[in-house]
Amino acid sequence: MSVSSVSQDIASHLGSAPEISAAYFVAGLLGTVTFLTVMALILIYAERKVAAHFQCRLGPMRVGWHGLLQSVADALKLILKEDIVPYSADKFLHALAPVFAVVAMLLSLIAIPTSSRLALSDSNIGVLYISAVSGLGVLGILLGGWSSNNKWSLLGAMRAGAQIISYELSATLSVLVVIMLSGSLKLSAIIHSQEAGWWIWRAPGVGLLAFLLFIVSSTAEINRTPFDLAEGESELTAGFHTEYSGMRFAFFFLAEYLNLFVVSALGATLFLGGWMPFHIGNFSGFNAAMDLIPEFIWFMGKTAFLIFLSMWFRWTFPRLRVDQLMKLEWKVLMPIGFINLLLAAMMTLFGFYFFATT
Amino acid sequence: MKTVIVARPGDGNFVSRFFYGVKSLLTGMRVTFRYLVHPSTVVTQQYPENRKTLKLAERVRAQLSFTFDENGFHKCTACHICEQQCPNASIHVMDRKPAGSTKSELDTFIWRLDSCTFCNLCVMVCPFQVLKMNSNFESSVYDQKLLVYNLTPYAGPASSVLMKVADVEERKKLIDARGPYDGPTALSGFPLAGISKQVFPETTQIGAPQ
Ligand code: SF4
Ligand code: SF4
Repeated sequence: MSVSSVSQDIASHLGSAPEISAAYFVAGLLGTVTFLTVMALILIYAERKVAAHFQCRLGPMRVGWHGLLQSVADALKLILKEDIVPYSADKFLHALAPVFAVVAMLLSLIAIPTSSRLALSDSNIGVLYISAVSGLGVLGILLGGWSSNNKWSLLGAMRAGAQIISYELSATLSVLVVIMLSGSLKLSAIIHSQEAGWWIWRAPGVGLLAFLLFIVSSTAEINRTPFDLAEGESELTAGFHTEYSGMRFAFFFLAEYLNLFVVSALGATLFLGGWMPFHIGNFSGFNAAMDLIPEFIWFMGKTAFLIFLSMWFRWTFPRLRVDQLMKLEWKVLMPIGFINLLLAAMMTLFGFYFFATT
Repeated sequence: MKTVIVARPGDGNFVSRFFYGVKSLLTGMRVTFRYLVHPSTVVTQQYPENRKTLKLAERVRAQLSFTFDENGFHKCTACHICEQQCPNASIHVMDRKPAGSTKSELDTFIWRLDSCTFCNLCVMVCPFQVLKMNSNFESSVYDQKLLVYNLTPYAGPASSVLMKVADVEERKKLIDARGPYDGPTALSGFPLAGISKQVFPETTQIGAPQ
């Protein structure tokens, strides 16, 4: 991410000869892909270690110091593994599905600013764009389940479809709260609006509630436990990716972990101030001390905290039943989301939040 | 005893159930977090490296073995009770009658690890608590024949009889040493059900019980 945006800068200085832009485009692409792969490997390792200690185990210990190279070894194994396509599968769609999953994730990653200077694309409809393209990921899951020609895959895919589309609603409702308070869809503007304090606490009650809603519904959107019905090992073998192996499975795996990153980064951006250091109103001494920590570190730290929260959920909570899942969304989260939105609207109208400027 | 009254999720109205659910989830998170921040709760043992310091539970049933008193004598009277109730015929108690005596005493105690199911019945029925299950779980060998062996290091009477003989030298005369594959074991050519009679010249006593 960083490499490519730097390369964009350089490209703009050097003029725009087509060969030079092409070269920088390729360099940026390679940089991004490397960053993402390393990111995914780290996330997988972290998940395994954290999960292990949550369960009184040690986790990977053999490959490298404390198993540090375990996920590299796993990735190598997946790359070298035979890629089995079921005989009666729809070959074209079967190959297309993992690509959809990864591309949707990559597209949403573009819009997230990692510091005040490093952002691939700071579009003025950033939030809208992310919620639009991340919805594309469900297409990959549905295609994968459908094309595998397998009951489990299809069931898993259908569950995933129903679940992701349902929870998209409350995720959007909670995001709307922040949009309303900050008055912008542009992610960098949302971050700048949190200069005096993060939205999670600046809007009393409402911000926290929106944050919790966002955490729950985004966990459901990326199919993680306790909402992992689409994979549900004990019910559906592996759900939509039952028939996937080797590289294509690795793609789904990559998409899953980077989705976790995207969702956590978005949560950090919207509610925890993104790369903005922790500031309290006008305490300039405290704020200056906080500014010493680089923005990128702030962003990564907040994202890491949300990722950890998600892992904590995953290894603690039991999986929901399908009907409970739907009930939770339509009977609990959605009404709460609407009421919360209403409260937020009133707050915005009357400027009833901390450090209100208007 | 403390009685814990557990509210069922179906009790109460929607709001109280909601908060009950949230509370139970938070309780769960507290439990797992405690495990995360206390590395001492880890139960994993890194086996081949920690062979020396391996901690195994008392209940582990890895191999059947004899118990010996402080003089190194066992209490087995060769009563055959363990042999009779073993559901798999995994025990063969061979007794002998020393010249000039009417009482039988233990000669060899053959145990078939390959057919034992570790049901612990023999340990429980022995009237003299001779048998016990130890935690020596590294039982793999290169030949099935090595899994049928003798548990007693000597042939002779039970310790109660031996201890009546005051003189140590006299005592030694009453007993004869027995090796792990002495007696009717497969390794000494004895035909046993389920074990091929073929002799592998390279068969060695790797992994012989200690
Ligand atoms: S443990 Fe059970 S099967 Fe094994 S020798 Fe004893 S009685 Fe037989
Ligand atoms: S081991 Fe116990 S039950 Fe078995 S023959 Fe000896 S005394 Fe009897």
